[in-house]
Amino acid sequence: MDFFVLALWLVRLAFLAVLYLFLYTVVRALLRDLRAAAREPGAELGRLVVVASTGDPPPGAVFALDAVTTIGRDVNNTVVVDDPFASGDHAALTFRGRAWYVEDLGSTNGTYVNGSPVEGVAPLGFGDEIQVGQARFRLDRARR
Amino acid sequence: MTGATARPLPAIVPGLRPRPRWRELQLLVLAAIALFVGSVSLGATVRARAAVAADAPLPEGALAPHDLTALLVYLGALFAAHLIQVLAGRRTDQVLLPAVGLLGGLSLLLMQRLPQSLAGQLGGLAQTQLIWLVLALGVITVLAVGVRSDSWLRLYKYTWAAVGVGLLVLTFIFGRDVNGARLTLDLGPISGQPSELLKVILVVFLAGYLSEFRPLLVEQSTRLGPLRLPPLPYLAPMVAMWAIALGIVVIQRDLGAALLFFAVFLTLLYVATARASYVVIGLGLFIAGSAVMYRLFGHVAQRVDIWLDPFADPQGAGYQVVQALYAFGRGGILGTGLGNGLPVVGGRLPIPEIHTDFPLAALGEELGLIGVLAILGLYLVVIERGLRIAASAADDFRALLAAGLSLVVGVQAFIIAAGNLKLIPLTGITLPFISYGGSSLLANALVVGLLLALSDRGVEPPPPRPPRSRLARIVDRGAR
Repeated sequence: MDFFVLALWLVRLAFLAVLYLFLYTVVRALLRDLRAAAREPGAELGRLVVVASTGDPPPGAVFALDAVTTIGRDVNNTVVVDDPFASGDHAALTFRGRAWYVEDLGSTNGTYVNGSPVEGVAPLGFGDEIQVGQARFRLDRARR
Repeated sequence: MTGATARPLPAIVPGLRPRPRWRELQLLVLAAIALFVGSVSLGATVRARAAVAADAPLPEGALAPHDLTALLVYLGALFAAHLIQVLAGRRTDQVLLPAVGLLGGLSLLLMQRLPQSLAGQLGGLAQTQLIWLVLALGVITVLAVGVRSDSWLRLYKYTWAAVGVGLLVLTFIFGRDVNGARLTLDLGPISGQPSELLKVILVVFLAGYLSEFRPLLVEQSTRLGPLRLPPLPYLAPMVAMWAIALGIVVIQRDLGAALLFFAVFLTLLYVATARASYVVIGLGLFIAGSAVMYRLFGHVAQRVDIWLDPFADPQGAGYQVVQALYAFGRGGILGTGLGNGLPVVGGRLPIPEIHTDFPLAALGEELGLIGVLAILGLYLVVIERGLRIAASAADDFRALLAAGLSLVVGVQAFIIAAGNLKLIPLTGITLPFISYGGSSLLANALVVGLLLALSDRGVEPPPPRPPRSRLARIVDRGAR
């Protein structure tokens, strides 16, 4: 009986120990995951994915976004759209504090968000579609 | 973290690309070892106590699992879920399933240990809980493997909201009263608690609504003196949804669910807008509402009074809470060991409703402070994974959905754990994955399954929203 009591006591403690071994393994995995995420260049504030276009950039291309991103046909823009329907300086995406905004820079054919034309400055949510000329972009969250 | 390095195995069948999940397998093996050791501890204690009670010598092989068949069935279901996910080859999260599986296994051990006559039509408490656990693992697997697109949640948010409100109204009209609260809905042979499902629906609706109007909620505001309120037209439907849910829940006397809904509503609003002023306003509303309810409703006042001084009536109103405190006290730091707690007081169980409302007290007695801390740690792991999935989500809807789903589990665990420990007034909600009950297990399985599906990085992009241009509206009108 004495041996049994000792064995039972050890089993009890072993159960708690294995519970903590599980937690330790999980937390180590989580920490490794967080460190890997921190090592990645995390400066981008969002991503612009090309959904459809006729020329450059090709559909599927991804741009990491800074706080100010300009879109247009002129080569000095951040995102250069090779499209006859896009203006030289077409639109600007700006990140102001907490949210993204899109501004039409007086383009000839207009800028559209989810199909409706942008007048002045319009707020933008992740997942929204922006159309410049014939090219369509989607604003995605930054990958972390 | 899921599988940047893991290369897909060669396709066995065309279209089927298995992908190994080594981390999940490693953690599952650890969880299985823990549950086996726990079962041995429980079985040996139960046999030794029986031998002492009968004044008989200890039987041979007393150091063996309590109910090997049930344990093997549960572990089999757990590894089957793992295997199906490997075969499906999706790059989903590998930590959630083991963590939830360990919590479910602890639930099984607890239900095997409690008196079997507490509940359960299908051969006792543990048997019924085992069936629900296996069903819950099935739900998790089906959602994790099957949900490839979230458009069915995203596009029909108002439909979901209507379903939720309909469920509540149905319960209110046709529900059955249990312990003074009308929570249970009977549909033929099936009965369930719709408020468990409602919390998932509420998160889906709030995520859909907030992701659509987030930019507007952040940008504009209505000034009211020094306060910056959100633009009222955009907040009204959300507040209405919340008020309907809350109002009916208060009428049904389900305070725990009301607290849970309010907390989830506030946190999601904060996650979406990052504005502390919303939280301050919400907390002010909460305090005012609590004070009003304390005056108006007897059952609220009673709960608060018990919380403030359970020893005022230790044999009557405060009985449950007092006995739970004693149980934690008996447990101490290392606990009495599985199967060794719960002395019967005066011919009745010390804690009424221990299998649904007080599982933490039972585990606290038998596993001690150390065990309770480990269980709370497991909940933290689930929340961390959910928030991580939210942080790496591609768009607002998914981020808000993942954050909301993980917070709903976390907040619920906190409310009932804190209630058991007399940190806040006790409310009758379940401890996720551990409490006895099918509705609770299935609803939380829904949450975990959706989180797993959302964590897949290789999923197709969300569908573009339908255009809302003037032209489209004119075309719409012409078509009608």
